[in-house]
Amino acid sequence: MLEDKDLLLKIKNPETRSYGFNMLVRTYQQRVYWHVRKMVIDHDDADDITQEVFIKIHKAIDTFREDSQLFTWIYRIATNECLNFLNKKRRRFFLPIEDISAQLSSKIDSSNDISGDEIQKKLQKALLQLPDKQRLVFNMRYFDDLSYEDISEITNTSVGALKASYHHAAKKIEDYLIA
Amino acid sequence: MKKLEDISKENIFTVPDGYFEKLPGVVQSRVAKPDPKVWFAPTFKFAVPILAFAIAATIWFTSGTGNSLEDELNEIQTDQLMAYLDESDFSTELISEELAWSEQDLNELEEEVISSLEPIDITIEDLSVEPDNF
Repeated sequence: MLEDKDLLLKIKNPETRSYGFNMLVRTYQQRVYWHVRKMVIDHDDADDITQEVFIKIHKAIDTFREDSQLFTWIYRIATNECLNFLNKKRRRFFLPIEDISAQLSSKIDSSNDISGDEIQKKLQKALLQLPDKQRLVFNMRYFDDLSYEDISEITNTSVGALKASYHHAAKKIEDYLIA
Repeated sequence: MKKLEDISKENIFTVPDGYFEKLPGVVQSRVAKPDPKVWFAPTFKFAVPILAFAIAATIWFTSGTGNSLEDELNEIQTDQLMAYLDESDFSTELISEELAWSEQDLNELEEEVISSLEPIDITIEDLSVEPDNF
């Protein structure tokens, strides 16, 4: 695998641009896909969004300023795509937050491409009770082990606010699991 | 019930076999497709306003600035028209004969006549008629 710096050099060179972009997709596809999948639950939706994320990256890569890390920039695009998707879904079906959560929760029970034991599924359902942004923060911290500094760069939120958000989320989830 | 830290962080979601092997090719083929907006935008971005202007100009110049006969007649005040008809040799019967009345015209005329009739609020007393006379 190439380092980010080498990937960017390849992409900026017109002769190796296609190869460089292909390597970027191979390097980041799993992180982007799983980040998206945990938010939208459904594989087909996650697949569509992941493709859109990489198409946006391809269009905007020349505007990427190397004063931030490539992976936080990519995460930020993926995060925005997830939030836009969920908002559009709500608007399209005139659904409040609770109904989207119920819809996604039922997918956790019925989908063939979700494994895990009962308690793991219950954790996913508990996560769906959270507001989208709080769920994103929780996923990035708990499952992806990102530092608060990186999450701060991705979400453009202060570290203090992120810590508070994470602890509130953890408390809500534990309350849901105990209930 | 377990606490959060007791629950495995293992990923419970799965993907179809070979998904991540195929995805780079799918993305590559999508970015390789020419974006229709890329050639459309610079070439045709002025087309719609130019076309709209051309249509508006065509309508303006072909219709001319003169009004139709109907428009000109509509501009004549009813009082003037009635005064002209009073002074002319046209009789109401002659005009009626010359006009082709449609059913709608007749209905409208009938409604106009009915609505022009003032309701008459006359009591028996007003008529100075003794009920005994009936």
